[in-house]
Amino acid sequence: MNPTTLNKYQLIIMADDKQVVLERILQVTRYRGFLINGMNAEVNTGNNVATITMSVSSERPISLLVDQINKLIDIKGVKVDNSAVQTKQKTA
Amino acid sequence: MNDSKPLTGGGLLFEVLQQHGVEHVFGYPGGAIMPIYDALYDSDVQHFLCRHEQGAAFSAVGYARAAGKVGVCLATSGPGATNLITGLADALADSIPVVAITGQVPTSAMGSDAFQEIDIFGLSLACTKHSFQVTDINELEKVLHQAFEIALEGRHGPVLVDIPKDVQLAEVTQRLEKLSHLKNKVQLPLADITKATDLLTHAKQPILYVGGGVGMANAIDEVRSFAEKTGMPSVSTLKGLGAINPDNENYLGMLGMHGTKAANIAVQDCDLLVVVGARFDDRVTGKLDEFAPNAKVIHFDIDTAEINKRRSADAPILGDLKGNLPLLTMPLNIDEWQDRIQKMKQESSWRYDHPGENIYAPAVLNEISQLMPKNSCVTTDVGQHQMWAAQHMDFDDPSNFLTSGGMGTMGFGLPAAIGAQISRPHDTVITVSGDGSIMMNIQELATMKRYNIPVKIVLIDNAKLGMVRQWQDLFFNGRLSETDLSDNPDFITLASAFDIKAKSISKKSEVTDAINEMLDHDGSYLLRVKIDAAENVWPLVPPNTANDKMMESV
Repeated sequence: MNPTTLNKYQLIIMADDKQVVLERILQVTRYRGFLINGMNAEVNTGNNVATITMSVSSERPISLLVDQINKLIDIKGVKVDNSAVQTKQKTA
Repeated sequence: MNDSKPLTGGGLLFEVLQQHGVEHVFGYPGGAIMPIYDALYDSDVQHFLCRHEQGAAFSAVGYARAAGKVGVCLATSGPGATNLITGLADALADSIPVVAITGQVPTSAMGSDAFQEIDIFGLSLACTKHSFQVTDINELEKVLHQAFEIALEGRHGPVLVDIPKDVQLAEVTQRLEKLSHLKNKVQLPLADITKATDLLTHAKQPILYVGGGVGMANAIDEVRSFAEKTGMPSVSTLKGLGAINPDNENYLGMLGMHGTKAANIAVQDCDLLVVVGARFDDRVTGKLDEFAPNAKVIHFDIDTAEINKRRSADAPILGDLKGNLPLLTMPLNIDEWQDRIQKMKQESSWRYDHPGENIYAPAVLNEISQLMPKNSCVTTDVGQHQMWAAQHMDFDDPSNFLTSGGMGTMGFGLPAAIGAQISRPHDTVITVSGDGSIMMNIQELATMKRYNIPVKIVLIDNAKLGMVRQWQDLFFNGRLSETDLSDNPDFITLASAFDIKAKSISKKSEVTDAINEMLDHDGSYLLRVKIDAAENVWPLVPPNTANDKMMESV
């Protein structure tokens, strides 16, 4: 059994509060090979902007996921919270 | 606002389609889309009734690819909508601008497992660039404009708009809004032209690697000018075929799994890859870690997510290829490399002197390529015939070779050819298919008959699922599992049932006359070309193998 390294990241995503925007983010995250460890979503009803914070882990570079989430039409921006980056070992 | 008369949602749909220049749509009616079909009755938009929604989706794809416009398809809810999905996935994989309109059960019934209800909005997430569900008639006009804009913005792709029946029936006044433009969400960094220029001027063995993005960026002239002025040897992906003039002396043809030996060896030996509108697809790279191992990379792309996705770029250049590529177009001193390329090209040129009397499919396709009128459009299905067409036919524009690249969808060729022929009624349209693929959307022969669409069908018939059979022979110890199709229908009788003139040939001596008869025929035609079932596509780079370790025979 080979140990593989899962890097853990915290993403902060700003999105227009549109239909299924959360589903789109979840679908892309899963498809691109990231596990979701936790998430929180809130909407500012004043400007209809949703802020989603999401903890993910993967062997893959986070830039892969950031670029793909950024391509979603309703996304305004994605930031990686570097202060939250961690690494954990997983036995494959 | 203006004083337009109220329209139904269905009527508004066709008004907006016409605002976007849509003249033709492909579809199939059903219960939840009846108000839209009722509005169609009064519309100037011409509808082509396909015989399966998948056929409608592929016709829209073929139409879009052949004409450089947005393709539009319509389907009802439930099974009608799910039948579109393969076509939408195909359009997503190959970045084709398509707008799909689906009917949905009334909003009051949504979520109740109503008759012919499926969550197509949810299903669309993985197979479209974007999707909408319109539950408020006042949103419909804006959403339809957005759908067209998204389909064509940046990297093209399919957009689905799901419209419940009550929204189709609701009355609304068209606002005739100005088309709003999407915000340029991704701020592209300034292209590192200085770094790229430095790489280019120091390269001794550069290769230009051309993909499907060139045609979609309308940058064929710029890429050809780059290839000519730099003298850089070039290779093409399956979707890039036609972007480089096939007569360019430094052009080596397709690279990758079934690429030419010269193209693959040259890429493996190069010290600089200039990548234009391509994405290092696995069928191109073979074993990724060993692809062009000594090359630096300059990567031009419109899609930020393709940069560094599978291969790091030393100089990424994001944005419009048409504007960016001329910045690097300069003469290079690479005479020694060009001489090597010429030698490689001569040593690996195709041969058509196949022994025996049986028909050699590559020779037939090469001869069709030479005899077909200029600006003919060829579509293919997927399998051996597809790779032989890519290898042995020449195209002078990517819009003249339509093939399912990313998704590799059998059943693509015939409906795509129908769409292509409708978009380009004065050009010859030929679909090259196989006896496995053609049966995937054979019902579209009825669409050809209904509208007298003069598509020429070249059916390469080995009574096998040839490519799978080839892999079973090569990589699965010859265990031929479920690839025999010797019980296929009689294709000549089948064609005649749809009033399509047909002919079957099985000997080399029959080929030239048969091709000429097909091309001269004023109407649809099916030419069945019987070939030896044991023929393989060569060269072949085995899976997870470096491209210079290709097999050239068994």
